[in-house]
Amino acid sequence: MIQFSQVSKYFNEFTLKNITFSVDKGELAYITGPSGAGKTTLLRLIYRAEHPDEGSIRVAGWDVEKLREGAVPFLRRQIGIVFQDFRLLPNKTVFDNIALPLRIHGFHPEEIKDAVTEVLKDLGLRHKANDFPNSLSGGQQQMIAISRAMVSKPILLLADEPTGNLDPDTSATIMRLFREINVRGTTVLVATHHRELFEHSGRRVIHLKDGVIEKETAG
Amino acid sequence: MRTLLYLFKTAFKDLWREKWINALTVLTISFALLTLSTFVLITLNIDLTLKEWSRGFGLLVYLKDNLPAEEKNLLREYFKKDTDIIEVNYISKEQALKELMQTFKEMSPVFEGIEENPLPSSFELKLKREALQPAHIKEKAEHIKQIPGVEDVQYGERWLSSLSSLLRWMKIIVIILGSIIFTAIAFVTYSTIKILFYRRAQEIETLKLLGASRSFIRLPFLIEGLFIGLLSGIIGFFTIFGLYELLTSRIIEFLPSIKGTVTFFSSALYPVLPFTGAIMSLIGSIFAIGRIRY
Repeated sequence: MIQFSQVSKYFNEFTLKNITFSVDKGELAYITGPSGAGKTTLLRLIYRAEHPDEGSIRVAGWDVEKLREGAVPFLRRQIGIVFQDFRLLPNKTVFDNIALPLRIHGFHPEEIKDAVTEVLKDLGLRHKANDFPNSLSGGQQQMIAISRAMVSKPILLLADEPTGNLDPDTSATIMRLFREINVRGTTVLVATHHRELFEHSGRRVIHLKDGVIEKETAG
Repeated sequence: MRTLLYLFKTAFKDLWREKWINALTVLTISFALLTLSTFVLITLNIDLTLKEWSRGFGLLVYLKDNLPAEEKNLLREYFKKDTDIIEVNYISKEQALKELMQTFKEMSPVFEGIEENPLPSSFELKLKREALQPAHIKEKAEHIKQIPGVEDVQYGERWLSSLSSLLRWMKIIVIILGSIIFTAIAFVTYSTIKILFYRRAQEIETLKLLGASRSFIRLPFLIEGLFIGLLSGIIGFFTIFGLYELLTSRIIEFLPSIKGTVTFFSSALYPVLPFTGAIMSLIGSIFAIGRIRY
């Protein structure tokens, strides 16, 4: 699903150096490392918010580097992205936030209504459909953000410090949600510096330090 | 189509969300369009006045006394061959006196004392509108004056010159003002849409990450710009229409003779102001959004 081959990226100094790794289809893997290790840059390279200075990246069969700019949205529609700061649109309701990817895809309003209602029902947040994100707790906002990322059924889910702003209990709930998403067939790559989230998970963990892969372990 | 409908809804929601800045933009553009249309309307009325006046405009060619009939006929043929002249009327000495006496009926005792008709015979030449250029007419009059048998040539030189000059200046003002106002409209919309674009920078970034295409991101802004220009044009149009109705009705009260001489734009031109506003605002919006990069 994801293949990095000797990828380097530098801004003023090296952010990532000679990164080679792959994530298989259907896998749930973690990227960890201290702040500034290059986790976010690595994820940004996957959804082509950044260009590598060296090496090649393939995502879901796409040669990301050779992708025309006009084709980038089509790559991103295959990927669900979850951020630490949720990135929900504050002027849109919970319903409209979750519905946004479906509207981008051009789904019929009835299909959108059904899909969003089902997602909200699964999360137990159906009663919050018409609320605005700022009226929700951090955990609820992150769950909405994950729903938004998953509602169009992407083949890959990327999460960048998804529990950074959440308490331990909510973090555990969020991680359980990722595992469920993975069980349903979506490849999941989570970047986090919270060791307790992947310890004893039995999943592959890629350790980054100062822009290089230090080691790969089983969680 | 579904996506387009959604983007229209989004655009109008955003217009309402930023209603104050949008209202200010609409008012500014309306005022600019009102100013321009006022100048265009004044120019149009001067042009129409000139056209109306030119219908009766002619050169009066006074002939020398006792000019033989053959020479008069030769002159008539000469004038008829001139492509600038659309009508040639001969006015004999007797007819000229008769017309003079009819015009000044109350002074008939004065005319009774006249033993010999002092008025010359003449040709009245009606010119086509394209030929009504002061310099051209002056040249033609000078030329006719040189023809043997012609005593003098007269025409409303001062009037024609002043009105033509005023019309020329008004047209220049309209072109310059139009260019300035069109640029200003595009610039005002550019600024507004740029501000709105910056305000929604985070939202746009999120849309890009969700896989929104360029048109999905751009269209609401373009619709907003288009609507702002369209609404401004409609307001501008109704304001000039209202002002025209109000002013002409007031003026007609005091000067009934001007009724029918002043005119508003023809109905075919009604959509021009909203259309112009919309197009210029759209151009401003296109430049404001620029190229969306991923």
